[in-house]
Amino acid sequence: MFFQDLSGAHSSVEPATPQAGRIANLWWVMFYVSVAVLALVTAALIYAVFRRRSAREQTAPVDLSPNTNRERKATRAAAVALAVTIAILFVLLGLSFTTGRAVSFLSNESPLEIKAVGHRWWWEFQYVDPVPSRGFITANELRLPQGRQIVLTLTSNDVIHSFWAPNLMGKKDLIPGQESRLIFRPEKQGVFRGQCAEFCGFQHAQMGFLVLVESDGDFSDWYNHESQQAVQPSNDSEKRGRQVFLSSTCVMCHTIGGTPANSNIGPPLTHLASRTSIAAATLTNSRENLAKWVTDSQKIKPGNRMPPNVLGPENLDDLLNYLTSLK
Amino acid sequence: MSERSVLNCSELPEHAFDGRAPIWWGNLLLLAIESTMFGIVIACYFYFHQNFSYWPPPRNVPPTTYDTAPDLLAPTSNVILLLLSCVPMYLLDRAARAGKIKAVRIAIVVSIIFGAAAVALRCFEFRDIHFKWDANAYGSIVWAVLSLHFAHLITGTLETAVLGAYVFVRGLDAKHRVDLTVTAVYWYWIVGVWIPLYAILYWGPRLG
Amino acid sequence: MINERSKPGKAHIETATLDVERDRAELERSWETRPGFIGWLTTTNHKSIAIRYIVTAFIFFLFGGILAALMRIQLARPRSEFLGPDAYDQVFTVHGSTMMFLFAVPIMTALGLYFVPLMVGTRNVAFPKLNAFGYYVYLTGGILLYLGLLSNTGPDTGWFSYVPLSGPDFAPGKRVDIWAQMITFTEIAALVAAVEIIVTAFKMRAPGMSLNRIPLFVWAMVVTAFMIIFAMPAIMLASSMLATDRLTGVSTHFFNPAEGGDALLWQHLFWFFGHPEVYIIFIPGTGIVSTLIVTFARRIAFGYTALVLSLISTGFIGFGLWVHHMFATPLPQLGQSFFTGASIMIAIPSGVQIFCWIATLWLGKRLELKTPLLFVLGFVFTFVIGGLTGVMLGSAPLDLQVHDTFFVVAHLHYVLIGGAIFPLFGALYYWFPKWTGRLMNERLGKLNFWLMLIGFHLTFFPMHQLGIQGMPRRVYTYLPETGWGALNLLASIGAAVLTAGVIAFLINVFWSRRHGAPAGDNPWNSDTLEWATSSPPPSYNFLYIPTVRNRYPVWTVEPDTPVVAGLRTDVREALVTHTITAAPDHRYELPNSSIWPLVLAAATAVTFIGVIFTAWAIPIGAALTFIALVGWFWPNSEPAALEAERHRSLPTGDGLSLEQQT
Repeated sequence: MFFQDLSGAHSSVEPATPQAGRIANLWWVMFYVSVAVLALVTAALIYAVFRRRSAREQTAPVDLSPNTNRERKATRAAAVALAVTIAILFVLLGLSFTTGRAVSFLSNESPLEIKAVGHRWWWEFQYVDPVPSRGFITANELRLPQGRQIVLTLTSNDVIHSFWAPNLMGKKDLIPGQESRLIFRPEKQGVFRGQCAEFCGFQHAQMGFLVLVESDGDFSDWYNHESQQAVQPSNDSEKRGRQVFLSSTCVMCHTIGGTPANSNIGPPLTHLASRTSIAAATLTNSRENLAKWVTDSQKIKPGNRMPPNVLGPENLDDLLNYLTSLK
Repeated sequence: MSERSVLNCSELPEHAFDGRAPIWWGNLLLLAIESTMFGIVIACYFYFHQNFSYWPPPRNVPPTTYDTAPDLLAPTSNVILLLLSCVPMYLLDRAARAGKIKAVRIAIVVSIIFGAAAVALRCFEFRDIHFKWDANAYGSIVWAVLSLHFAHLITGTLETAVLGAYVFVRGLDAKHRVDLTVTAVYWYWIVGVWIPLYAILYWGPRLG
Repeated sequence: MINERSKPGKAHIETATLDVERDRAELERSWETRPGFIGWLTTTNHKSIAIRYIVTAFIFFLFGGILAALMRIQLARPRSEFLGPDAYDQVFTVHGSTMMFLFAVPIMTALGLYFVPLMVGTRNVAFPKLNAFGYYVYLTGGILLYLGLLSNTGPDTGWFSYVPLSGPDFAPGKRVDIWAQMITFTEIAALVAAVEIIVTAFKMRAPGMSLNRIPLFVWAMVVTAFMIIFAMPAIMLASSMLATDRLTGVSTHFFNPAEGGDALLWQHLFWFFGHPEVYIIFIPGTGIVSTLIVTFARRIAFGYTALVLSLISTGFIGFGLWVHHMFATPLPQLGQSFFTGASIMIAIPSGVQIFCWIATLWLGKRLELKTPLLFVLGFVFTFVIGGLTGVMLGSAPLDLQVHDTFFVVAHLHYVLIGGAIFPLFGALYYWFPKWTGRLMNERLGKLNFWLMLIGFHLTFFPMHQLGIQGMPRRVYTYLPETGWGALNLLASIGAAVLTAGVIAFLINVFWSRRHGAPAGDNPWNSDTLEWATSSPPPSYNFLYIPTVRNRYPVWTVEPDTPVVAGLRTDVREALVTHTITAAPDHRYELPNSSIWPLVLAAATAVTFIGVIFTAWAIPIGAALTFIALVGWFWPNSEPAALEAERHRSLPTGDGLSLEQQT
């Protein structure tokens, strides 16, 4: 649909932040320790089962208080195994503590503050600006400047969701009535993908989002552009398209900045055309996909909250012209 | 039919009291379950406390804001009544162990009267909570505590009543003497578990 | 005849002549269950009731497996349209609920209900009518859930049913209410079984079986039972609170943040139950493993005391882990650190058990690789993997990456299937001869084992990688570009192999019932007391209750080991002994068959199914319950002779019976 291969774009072992990097390190340590432990236990088990037993041993009667050499060896071996186990566990526990502290450390520099609000089934991202008029709300696509500390505050508008972009950081739940927080610093440019990770109903499976990490310059350009109201229609078809939008049920759920449409139920469409994907990172943002989505989103995401829209071919054409102009 | 070594248990009694009796253990485990449940309910009560600036939450009937800690008269009377009810229960227990059927009958009737009175007083306690269960989380949890304990008050009284009916109709046999002592334990627990609950629900808001 | 001398009121060892034929005939008569349907409905025989539980639970296992197969078919390819989201959500919810509530816990408690009385050397559980009631309540809960699923009213918010998704605002209709009441039924049944196991194991052991001599399986079941006692109230409370939040006309606000309620409270309550729940399933598995290893190694358990202490400490620590299911929520970090510590430390007692088991095997005299032992070996390998990923999940920072992903799906199946189901299948092969008198087929058994082992790992091992690669849980589909398709397809193929293994098991069961080799009393030459009676055991378990002098009574029985004599054979009577020392204490009458357990279960059903629709079901149901309880406890009138006989020892100051201090 949009990428040739997304498999590196949501991997917890291809970290793009120091936080995800620390967690990935912890993972690899635990992984290799586990492989070693499993190998040792399996070897001991196989040896225990297949050890050669003498005929005398095989026919010995039941001994209720055995005191053989072998018994003592077993006791020593078990004690050593227990000691090693405890030691390994304490080391892993210590590593876990230090990793935990590292990933929640908030440095002194001023972060980029973003507030994420979970909806069924899309992501609202509010970029918080010290100058309120410069702040803006976008949906399903998070753009971040490389190298800057990000503080993401999370809450939900309805049920519990969970924000998870594996390359960037562990996940955090979005809980209605409460606020949670994620801190990370993206250090690699690229496109990453995330999905909701807490079951939230019918379209939990397709509640995705994209994270685009860009250079400072590119990010500033994008930021300034997003702060502005929607582009005005530049020709008659687009004007008609805007009229179709404003006179249909679209306005009941969607916002387009600078128009009377101002609802929070569905994602804002102010700069729809500059997004890489639509339908919560499920479809590439193309005219064809937009047409399919607008006319019958239930086919693509059954159970989602957008009803099908029956539009005549001319109205649809105009509407699409308008929507694709909203850069 | 040959001779062999046996452990002859034919002389052993057919009933035993307290920790020797399986029914006593069954009752103890039931009390463990119910105590755990009350512990969790009270933990929820404290958990909700952190969601409110004032506890209990104020009730707004403009232009006034009412203090909503529950009235003390009915619950305190009930606590005293419950503590007193342990006396006839204790006498019932003693009489049952000694096998004195007349004393058992009197003690049982008195216990049932105390139980019924406690049930009635509990209804007044419900009335004196200033919120219904659907007003807010405070109302919901207080009604939950009161209702769960109310269920035990009813069950304990009914259990005593049914055993009482049996004693009057059929007389006092060994098995039911043991059952009466177990009922007494249940009743002591109903009273005992209520003391901290009463303190938390009715005095907590006033002292905290 | 029994010689009557010595002090009245105590038990004493003597030499006697036993009229075996007469005793057997009388026991057969007083313990028999009437044939036919009424007899089946009214039985209080713990073995019949346990077999019912086992068969019913296994049928639910098959249903849950079918639901799993449906999920694997749907997930085998990206964007598959085999199941839409609504159907899929019901399928995964009912799969999880079935496996956890209707299969795993009931089948483990059922093994306890069957074998604890036999292993401790008594005739029945402590409260036989209560036992019958427990089964009927369990069955009601299961039927309720599946009636819901089959009428498209199946719960669809997950087996854990988080709020607010499952609350009144977002889960309309009765789906979640059906789930909540199914919980109530199955938890009542579990609590009943727990009470039975504890009281039977504490009070009804054979003389001489002091606490340090009870079999490891009994220890495991006792620890499990205590965990049930302290864990179940949390979820009964939580599901009731959810039900009242949802019930129009009641509308409490326990989980409504707008009125001071709390969405996280649900998670605390659920997981305070939910984490011990998995140990409730796993610990009986360890009891089975100890039993099988001792039998097949033909030697005493290595580290009996360490194994018992491990069971008990796992039981305790298991209550201190629940927040590790909530690491992704905004809880204070100090709390998270505590729960990380506990979650990692619980690996220690598990490790002790593994080492003791391997040591027992190593010291074992001659190991025959029969099917039960194969399942034990499969358990060790699989469970260790699951335990290692458990340590990973216990670490809060790492958990933040793999929580709620297929990594957890892999982990939980590794510990539950590896840690409980493999031992369970080993137990089924092991005890099938005791239940039926015939051994299961060894070749089919080996086929069963290898198909299940290979199928299991093929299915679930790839899921670790899927989680690391970003695939969340509880998703009905996924995009092709994610690259998750190949491993999902592999997992689905593995599921087919695993299914073939289960089918091999079923074929084996049906074949062996007809054609299995006759087993005799003790085909495995095992050391626990269930093997000291016939296969299957008679309704009264033992002709004469044994006495015990050490931990391994069957291996060390001698001709002069005394048996218990002097218990009544004309009524159902068992022996109650001292809790710690198992010195004989008093004789305990057990009830005959009764219809009242079914009646009380019906009253319970009316109450808790009615409450799905109206709060009036509570007072109405309470009244019905009261009537049923009176009927239960009000004794039948007895023949005058028996009554006179029974009351002969009624003390009125003659110093007998009740005032005795042993």
